[in-house]
Amino acid sequence: MKSRVRELREACGWSQAQLGERLDVSRQTINAIETGKYDPSLPLAFRIAREFGEPIESIFLFEDVP
Amino acid sequence: MEASSARRPLRIVALLLLAAAVALRLSVPSAPAWTSGLILLSAAAIAAVSLSRRATACDGAPRALRRRYTRELLVGMAAYVVVLAGSLVLLRHVEPPALRAMVALLPVAPIALVLRAMVRFIRGVDELQQRIELEAVCIAAACVSLGYMTAGFLQGARVIDVPASAAMLWVFPLVCGSYGVAKAVVARRYR
Repeated sequence: MKSRVRELREACGWSQAQLGERLDVSRQTINAIETGKYDPSLPLAFRIAREFGEPIESIFLFEDVP
Repeated sequence: MEASSARRPLRIVALLLLAAAVALRLSVPSAPAWTSGLILLSAAAIAAVSLSRRATACDGAPRALRRRYTRELLVGMAAYVVVLAGSLVLLRHVEPPALRAMVALLPVAPIALVLRAMVRFIRGVDELQQRIELEAVCIAAACVSLGYMTAGFLQGARVIDVPASAAMLWVFPLVCGSYGVAKAVVARRYR
């Protein structure tokens, strides 16, 4: 799943490790979410949305595969 | 620095296994040579993993959690080495079957501690790491089961002749070893 996590994180001036610390996950998890290799669980997605103050659907972009 | 200190526990486990192999050889000279040979082989494999750069590259667990896991793992392994050596020595002097069973089962307790440490570690990591760990455990369990069954067919056909006690004892170490390898492979997908 594509996401705007990297863009939003960089706009806040945080490193992957700093965002990971805020969300209580590892830097590797943030990296995997940003590169689209891992889709976060719903609770983590909500925490990310709350951290950036944006609605969840504007951060995670669902692509329907036909 | 951090990667080096994170690899230290593996080196200690390798040393403990080396000590177990030597203890087995010295305390039970009648034990078949392949038993201590296999322990030595696993010690060498763990030492090789500890020297590889990739050993900890996939581990995103917090430092405090890794430290607790290391401590619990080392306590379990050290207790295992001591209890196993004691149990093997005692078994030479104990005759009644019920007592022999009790003495023979003594090393199960420290191994249960090691398992508890593994479960506590997996429960403590974040969701991606948990996924990696669980996927690795599944792959390891599947591979070892497949290997065990394959060997069972060969043994049934009398192509090979592996002592049953050795085969049963090596299931858990083999699962642990394949778990480590599977974890490195699975983690690559999320890098």
